[in-house]
Amino acid sequence: MDLLPFFNWLENSGLGQAAKSYGGVYAMAQSFHLMSLAMLGGTVLVTDLRLLGVLLRDVPSEAVNDGAHRWFKVALLVVIGSGIFMVAGVATKAYYNDFYWAKMIALVVGIVFVFAIKRPLLRVEHAKIKPWLLKMVALASIMVWFTVAACGRWIGFSG
Amino acid sequence: MLNEVLFRFATWISQQPWSSGLQGSFYMYNWVETTHVLTLSVFLGMLLMIDLRMLGYCLTSVPASKIAERLDKPMMLGFAVMIITGFMLFYAAPIRTTQSIWFRIKVVLLIAAGINALLFRRKMHGAVHSWDQDPVPPKRIRMGAGLSLAFWFGVVITGRCIAYNWFDCGQEQSDLMNWAAGCSGEFGGDILAR
Repeated sequence: MDLLPFFNWLENSGLGQAAKSYGGVYAMAQSFHLMSLAMLGGTVLVTDLRLLGVLLRDVPSEAVNDGAHRWFKVALLVVIGSGIFMVAGVATKAYYNDFYWAKMIALVVGIVFVFAIKRPLLRVEHAKIKPWLLKMVALASIMVWFTVAACGRWIGFSG
Repeated sequence: MLNEVLFRFATWISQQPWSSGLQGSFYMYNWVETTHVLTLSVFLGMLLMIDLRMLGYCLTSVPASKIAERLDKPMMLGFAVMIITGFMLFYAAPIRTTQSIWFRIKVVLLIAAGINALLFRRKMHGAVHSWDQDPVPPKRIRMGAGLSLAFWFGVVITGRCIAYNWFDCGQEQSDLMNWAAGCSGEFGGDILAR
């Protein structure tokens, strides 16, 4: 399935035109994107470093996980919302950018990982889960979100 | 006067071989910038978690001082990386950065955020035992946390805007803007906006 017509349509849509025309609004969207990236990264790091036993060792892992996950969801929504606006302005260019696709694939992997694997797994008492499994989950989580962010920054450098 | 001194300083840096070397190196420059941006999630991520706790929005079952103390180390680690990579980015494009109105506002906001953080620390250590377990800390603490969020959001916005050429020197704009951006001597433009 070729998605090029969709990306062309997106760039010519009202959203795409708005993103192109208003540089100040675009920069604000980028700033929101960065702030929510910080928030997303913060919640991921706090949760995963707790699972790895590096941070907040005397706070129950379940409490850290649940508290951070609420804000993870907020951050994810803002990241995606501002991201759609950002890509709308340069949709055709993004379509031909390898790092854009690498990021999208990593993002889908990250979302599936969090909602289909990590959350269901961590719903039970963490002491009942094998420690090596917890650590693997934490490492995988850090790596996948790092990949999303790094590919994202690299979109601007290539193409 | 100050603009002149800053311009001369920036020119001196730009003449060093490592400055143009870093600027010209595609991978090195971009990795430094990527590190600068990604470390946001370490530094600002930790700061956001602390501030949200101080505002009573996150991890309210954990004592406020515990969150602040435990997340302090990774936060400062992230801060150190951001400062170092930030200096490197400045070093690679000294003239354009010195003559960027956004960079100038960013530095002012950074100083404001630093002062706010120091005052906040003092306020917190002063009477933390009286509200440490409260899900929602007292108003003066929430004010400090809110200010911190506002300052850092400002730092992110102005930081992002440095890449745009809206108020670059050498284009037609008011004398006030030229003065505020420090346009003096020959105009910058030692690196293209990325």
